[in-house]
Amino acid sequence: MLKMTHLQKVYRTHLIETHALRDFSIHVRDGEFVAVTGPSGSGKTTFLNIAGLLEEFTGGEYWLDGVDVRGLDDNARSKLRNEKIGFIFQSFNLIPDLNLFDNVDVPLRYRGFNAAERKRRIDEALTRVGLASRMKHYPSELSGGQQQRVAIARALAGSPRLLMADEPTGNLDSLMARGVMELLEEVNRQGTTIVMVTHDPELAARAQRNVHVIDGQVTDFDEAPKLRDPDAASRGAEAVAANG
Amino acid sequence: MEIRPILSALMRSKVSMILIGLQVALTLAIVCNALFIIGQRLERMDRPSGINESDTFWFGSNGFAPGYEATSVQKADLALLRGMPGVVDAAPTNSLPLSNGGWGEGIGLQPNQKTSTAQTTIYLVDDHGVATLGTQLVAGRNFKPEEVQDITFGDNLRPRVVIVSKALAERLFPGEDAVGRTIYVNEDNATTIIGVVERLQQPWVDSDSIEFATLVPAFMPYGNATRYAVRTEPGRRDEVMKAVEQKLGETNTGRIIGRMRSMEQIRADAYSGDRAMAIILGTVIFALLAITALGIVGMASFWVAQRTRQIGTRRALGATKGDILRYFQTENFIITTLGLVAGAVLAYAFSLWLMQQYQAPRLPWYYVPIGFVCLWLLGQLAVLGPALRASRVPPAVATRSV
Ligand SMILES: Nc1ncnc2c1ncn2[C@@H]1O[C@H](COP(=O)(O)OP(=O)(O)OP(=O)(O)O)[C@@H](O)[C@H]1O
Ligand SMILES: [Mg+2]
Repeated sequence: MLKMTHLQKVYRTHLIETHALRDFSIHVRDGEFVAVTGPSGSGKTTFLNIAGLLEEFTGGEYWLDGVDVRGLDDNARSKLRNEKIGFIFQSFNLIPDLNLFDNVDVPLRYRGFNAAERKRRIDEALTRVGLASRMKHYPSELSGGQQQRVAIARALAGSPRLLMADEPTGNLDSLMARGVMELLEEVNRQGTTIVMVTHDPELAARAQRNVHVIDGQVTDFDEAPKLRDPDAASRGAEAVAANG
Repeated sequence: MEIRPILSALMRSKVSMILIGLQVALTLAIVCNALFIIGQRLERMDRPSGINESDTFWFGSNGFAPGYEATSVQKADLALLRGMPGVVDAAPTNSLPLSNGGWGEGIGLQPNQKTSTAQTTIYLVDDHGVATLGTQLVAGRNFKPEEVQDITFGDNLRPRVVIVSKALAERLFPGEDAVGRTIYVNEDNATTIIGVVERLQQPWVDSDSIEFATLVPAFMPYGNATRYAVRTEPGRRDEVMKAVEQKLGETNTGRIIGRMRSMEQIRADAYSGDRAMAIILGTVIFALLAITALGIVGMASFWVAQRTRQIGTRRALGATKGDILRYFQTENFIITTLGLVAGAVLAYAFSLWLMQQYQAPRLPWYYVPIGFVCLWLLGQLAVLGPALRASRVPPAVATRSV
């Protein structure tokens, strides 16, 4: 699904070079739920941004779902993001001036679906996160946990193969965090690959696989998925297609 | 494209939308009407007077010495003027087109008509009048020297022959040859049209019958005052003006030579109000367009800065740079369109008000659609900078900004 070998990322400012990732190699398979942990500034977000095609890298190789992304131009990267990847952010990043329906609609419009298809997907996604009844509400009218659920609905509505989450529970209290985590596990069970950055060791422990990043390098990771849900990895893409 | 969600998002920041929309509306309404007024003024200013203006000047002579004989001085002056180097021709005349002062008279086709058939101006000239003014004789003939009458100021005007402007001839005898026809000037005085000139305007630029002029062959000093029009060889006007002023002053010290005015100066004075109006309105238009454009740039820049994270998020969710660019262009299109629709109504209302208050003509319908398109373009142009800036917001802003 996602394969990085000897990846490098150097940030250059006029004064200093920051090696945010050095010789970073990782392989995430279809259907996995991977938790990325590590100290602050170690390069977790950088990894996630590159994996999610939000940033370019300066060396090494990255294959996303069989595509070598090095040669892709900005439009191709946007299209790939739109079709294959769903994003969940620490601070939700819902658009405050749009109601829930229109928020979930955003990536679907960029996808070019027709109105009926979009409506069907929005209804389904919001139902899945338990907020279908609040479609006409605005984000400011929801709790943090509910907002993150909407963000998950938005990420899922386009049926991506891969879900990227950067500290999705970082702004939530533990009760709401648990709810969001359960939702993510449910999504993963239905076949979507998830890569989640987290500071919370308890949540990390619930993932099938842990990747520990220190100083821009993967220092420690479980080679094999934990056998909490043996079928998850093999179910893969068919489940996504079936669940839409 | 995505007009509906953009519009609903805009509805949540109504105040800014209404402010910009209102500005666009007022701009359209004022610019359309102001442009129309400028156009009318320029059209007015563009009307030819019918005479040579570039090489002609006009001045007066005022006798004050005891025993001053205006009629004989006039004839001597004319002979002198015609002999001066650089002078093409000279003629006495009481008035000139654009000079804003002259003699108005009614013309009838019957003696003592209750209402005249046309209102004309009377230019009192001699047989050199047509040549000096440089107007073209298109039918009939010029005055003969013996036809030029000596009239004392205050006597009734009883010309035997006249030359009229073509516009006047057509008014009097539509579709017919006016030469040889009898008309009645000054109630019951029968006179014969012997010639028609191509064009000759009245002295008053605001006259309803500005194209109706009549040349009457007569020397008629106003007391001791006489006036002369002089046409020079091309390019020698200013030089001849000086020479004439000096020469005439020297030859007769019993009079004062009045201010010399070139036709160019006379035209500039005649239309100074129109020109000032056009300049003021032009400045207003420019200022309004600039303020509107700057308002749009400012508002859009503010929105782009305010929505940086949102833009990054949209990019992360799959928006291309083009999608972001189009978002802001569409948003601007929506706001200006709403403003323009209101502005169109306002423009016609404003025109209606001008019609009622100032008897202004109706704003031609096409001004508003043209203004519509221009302001659309202005809006798109103004929003382009901020929109391009928005399209360059990196997608990583979605995860990096707090
Ligand atoms: N745009 C940038 N320009 C320069 N340096 C950057 C930039 N973005 C990140 N860095 C640097 O790269 C390194 C890795 O940052 P990154 O955000 O990936 O860390 P992180 O593991 O996500 O930290 P945290 O847990 O605090 O979110 C840091 O040293 C950071 O300062
Ligand atoms: Mg981070």
